[in-house]
Order: sequence, then structure tokens, then C-alpha cells
Amino acid sequence: MKQNKDIQDNEIRVLGSESKSKHPPKPVLWKCGMFGLITIGMVVASISLLKDKKTESDEPGYFETVPEIMESSQPKIDRLGTDVDPLVRGFTQAIDTIINDIPLRIYIPHNANMTLHVGNVNKEDTSIVFAAQAADIRRDNKKIVGAFVLKGKPLAWGLSKIGYCAIIDDEITIGVADNSPLFESATEKEGYFFRQYPLVNNGKLVENEPKNKAIRRSICDRNGEIMMIESLSTESFHDFAQALVDLGVKNAIYLVGSTSFGWAVDENDDRIEFGIENKNLPPNTSYIIWRRNEE
Amino acid sequence: MGNYLIISTSNDLIRIMPDRIVYISSDGNYSNLIQADGESRLLSYQLGQIEKMINSQLESEGSLFVRIGKSLIVNRNFIHYINIAKQRIILSDATAVNYTLSASREALKLLKELIEKEGK
Repeated sequence: MKQNKDIQDNEIRVLGSESKSKHPPKPVLWKCGMFGLITIGMVVASISLLKDKKTESDEPGYFETVPEIMESSQPKIDRLGTDVDPLVRGFTQAIDTIINDIPLRIYIPHNANMTLHVGNVNKEDTSIVFAAQAADIRRDNKKIVGAFVLKGKPLAWGLSKIGYCAIIDDEITIGVADNSPLFESATEKEGYFFRQYPLVNNGKLVENEPKNKAIRRSICDRNGEIMMIESLSTESFHDFAQALVDLGVKNAIYLVGSTSFGWAVDENDDRIEFGIENKNLPPNTSYIIWRRNEE
Repeated sequence: MGNYLIISTSNDLIRIMPDRIVYISSDGNYSNLIQADGESRLLSYQLGQIEKMINSQLESEGSLFVRIGKSLIVNRNFIHYINIAKQRIILSDATAVNYTLSASREALKLLKELIEKEGK
């Protein structure tokens, strides 16, 4: 079977079209078709006697194209975000909750897509519904910490943190790995990639070296639902990651915490800001940016 | 009798007649299958993988479905209304099923042309 080609949003594709039996012969062509088939059949039969018999294994098998089984998940999964009509203008839903006595604010963008951005973010850009700092910056040379890809262009290659987030073909993958093929994939497909401290890996807490307390922020995958979660009180990495685990988060990595600046735009177009705005940040300061889908 | 579409993981299995599927939408690394009875099922497969399953399991019967852009696979039998300007497609059987979805103008234009062509 042919591999499915990538499809763009401005394209359609009829499925099942790879089958030879998609279009039955038209009645008007029936007689010609029969004659042709008999002739072709005779020719094919003659050739097949002269050539080695083609084994069935040369043909794509019925089960050959069954995709690999992905990691299992529950058939029905509760979602934290509300169901939003896809025609509604994009926004970020903010939910406040308390887990293990830790007050958390959960940001869930709706009808929006995430990319990375390097440099100052224009606060007046009304297409942005969420912005938060992504990768860390080294104090000494002001370079991005850890591997980083911006729209296919690699800007940094380091491996000081094993958590990663990749955005490739609008799909967001959050994980933990020393080496991830998604870095190369991001460079090949004009995608995005950055590294941060890992917090949760397959539902299990990941310990990190820093033991201090600070406002913590993270990007999380909870059963396929991507969300950013912020602690509203200063917390250790351990306690924050434990709260994420208890919330049901499957994979999470850190975002820049403490006073780093960012904002969300809710459904009323009201802005929820966090951190302290600083216009003198290094040029390599990076952000995750969620923009409304095209209207 | 036609083939069932079987979507199986290590933990569970969904077996459904293709004509009972209204549409399947992409949800990040997952997909949502909407049934004609209104039930919704979250599948731990990406939409492209579901497309491959339809092609391999249903063969020519798979032509019941159309992939619209990156985010949708719809059952053609339920296509009831297309509005290119409003980027809107309504899937309905004029009884119980009624879903309004959005897609790009270009994709809806192509879909409209496809249906017009096939209707002749």
C-alpha cells in the first residue's frame, strides 16, 4: 500500500481510493471491457508461464499496513477544558483549582495553535491568546539552554535538560529523552523544538536537582489535551510535579517560572497576565505562543 | 454485508460499521470518532493512522469517507450542507444526526465540486 501523503488544510482526499475496485466498470463500456479483459488475460497467462511465478508475498499483505499499536489509553477520558464549537473565536480557558494544597491555574487554549517565538512578543498582537517563556537562557553568554528549533531552523544544540516539547505539523509532543528524533524532524518539517526540565514522564514524577521554591509553570499533556499549568504559590519542583501527576497529567515539562512574564486572553478578550514585564530581556528569550486559528 | 472497521489497542477494541461513523476529528495525538447514535469515542491514534486503517481494512468501501484537511475525516453520506464563505459543513441525516463543523474554504470548495461531479 502506498503511504498516505501529507495533507494540507486546503486539500481533500477520498479514502479507499488505493483499492483497485474503487470504480466499477461503466455499463456502456461493458462489452469492450470484457473483450479487453479476455485479451489481457491471455497475454498475462502466456507471460506468467515464461517467467518465474510471482509470489504472493510480493504483494502488500492485508495486515502489512496495520499501524503500530500506540501506548494504550482509556477509551473514554475526562477532559478539563470545556467543549468549544470550532467556529468560536480562539481564546484561553483559565481554570483555578487546588491539588495537594497547592493552588494551580490551568490554561487551556481553544481553537488556537502553538508555535515558538524568539525575541520580544508584541503585546498588541490580538491573534495571541497565550504567551509564556519557553527555554532558559544561560546567564554567561545569554544563549538558549538546550536544543532549540524555530520554524525548522536550529538555534541551539545543547542537552542540559532532557525534557522536550516538539511542534511538528501542528502536533505537540511533550516527552523526556536524551535524544529525540523529533529534533531532526522539526528541522526537516519547519517545526519547533525546545528543551526544559522534565516534570512528568508517562504519568510518573521526574525528580530535578534544584530544590528551591518558586512560582512554577509547565506545559502538560493530559490524555492528549495540551495545557499550561502555573502554581499560584511558590513550590519546589517535586511538589509541583506531584500535583501535576495527581491532576492526571501524563507528560509535562517546565516553562520558565518565577517572575517570567506572560499572559492569556480569555473568552471575553480579557487579558490575564502573570510574572513581571521586563523589556530588557536578552534577544534569545523564547516563548511559546498560542495564536487563534485563522478566522 | 460490508466490512466492519476495527480499531484496536492493547487495551480495547472498537468494532463499527463504517456507515455508523459520522466523522472523525483530529485531537492532537488522538482522534475523536463520532457515531451516528451520538456517542463519541476518543481514539489513541492520530488521524493519519485512522486513515490508513480505513484504507487497508475497508478497501473500496473506504471511499465512503473523505479526508478534509488535516483535522477531519467525514462520512460522505452525512454531508448535508456546505457553505464555503462561512467555512461551514453540516453533517446530518435529517433526523438524529446533526453536526456543524468548520474547514478551510479551499477544502470545502473542492468537496463541493466533488459532490457536484459525482451527483451528475
